[in-house]
Amino acid sequence: MRAINFICHAPQATKVSIVGDFNNWNPAANPMKHMPDRSWLTTINLKHGHHRYAFLIDGVLSLDPHAQGITRNDMGERVSLVPVS
Amino acid sequence: MGISLRAALSRATFKASSQFTGAVEQTPMTKTAKPVRGAKTSKASAGKIHPIVIYPFKQPNHLSDLESLYGLVARLAAKPGSYARPITVMDRKTYYSMKGHREFQDFRTNTVALHSEIIDAWCVDTCQMWYVGLGAAFERGGENDVYWLIPGDFDYGTPAGQEVLGGLHDLPEIILELDQDVCVGEIATGHNNSKHLIDTYGTFALLYTWFPGEAQEIRQFTERPRSEFFAVRHSFLHEVLTQRWYPYEQTVVMLLQAVFGKKRISRFFVGSVSDLPGGSESLAPALQQVERTERVLKSMWRERNQYRGDWIQLYRHLETQSEQVRRTASTILQNHLT
Repeated sequence: MRAINFICHAPQATKVSIVGDFNNWNPAANPMKHMPDRSWLTTINLKHGHHRYAFLIDGVLSLDPHAQGITRNDMGERVSLVPVS
Repeated sequence: MGISLRAALSRATFKASSQFTGAVEQTPMTKTAKPVRGAKTSKASAGKIHPIVIYPFKQPNHLSDLESLYGLVARLAAKPGSYARPITVMDRKTYYSMKGHREFQDFRTNTVALHSEIIDAWCVDTCQMWYVGLGAAFERGGENDVYWLIPGDFDYGTPAGQEVLGGLHDLPEIILELDQDVCVGEIATGHNNSKHLIDTYGTFALLYTWFPGEAQEIRQFTERPRSEFFAVRHSFLHEVLTQRWYPYEQTVVMLLQAVFGKKRISRFFVGSVSDLPGGSESLAPALQQVERTERVLKSMWRERNQYRGDWIQLYRHLETQSEQVRRTASTILQNHLT
């Protein structure tokens, strides 16, 4: 397992969470914390492999513009990819 | 290899300027955390990965780049449980042009042949080398296997190149783990790099002309539709191999066929690496690549539409637009690359 920091720059948002294969795309599972620089942060322990995820910014599914990859989830939505070594 | 140090540092810079989003490994590693409830379980697959190396058409003056590449090939060959024996496709013209060079012969015998099976072939161009290599690997593969193309003509000997080499295995692994059909590797280039200019003003402009809907779908995944880095699943490769093999721009063709067939496409950033000297940085090869792209798109369009009663009128209309696009691309490339 590795601890991965996810950071989302959404200064105008009121609520941001991260959804992905690792939390069954559950919006309530991993809320992100609003940081002083107005970004949003959360840390998740992920096992080795490639994980699909997206940010949920005020209810809107959003790609991570700095993700290392793009794919689709099982709903056919475009989502981001993070590799964990 | 996970998130690279370079990428992490790059992202740290973004963070410092409060313009950052992304995912970064936290250090030190947390080893005591329990598995996340509901976590995705990787789809276990018994499939093997077939590495296919395309040996550079023009042998580089120094072997450092190829030594780095075959260092990777040696590591893959040492894991027969995960990887099929790597294949190296070598053009016979390359072989004969280097026949008298002792260093080349030694490298071929003691390194290339040691860690991979060499397939010698007379090829008109790199696309035919791909066809030879992918076809040979496919005939040895099975239903769950994945085929991984590794172009040889990049500067893998540099620190950035070695980092790319260290992360290329993500491409086939994404296919196996996430049940994808094709995964395209994307390299970083500057806005004035010839690859970027060709793709922006040539490839995509022509794609939007001939296949506008499919072009939009492709661009949702990648800005490098001509990438030489990719991995492809057995069943999709079967479809690709048994359809007409166009003589140019196979990644574009493959992506179009993926969109036509509603295949699962992924894109993965592999880092920053350059063509070996003598690659496609100058104007003439850039123009040739745009012309080739136009030729293959026209061929594909005709094949898909020739059964329509009015196809020739529409074709001529698109051909006029396409010529304008190609001329514009030529002007832009001429302005930037001369």
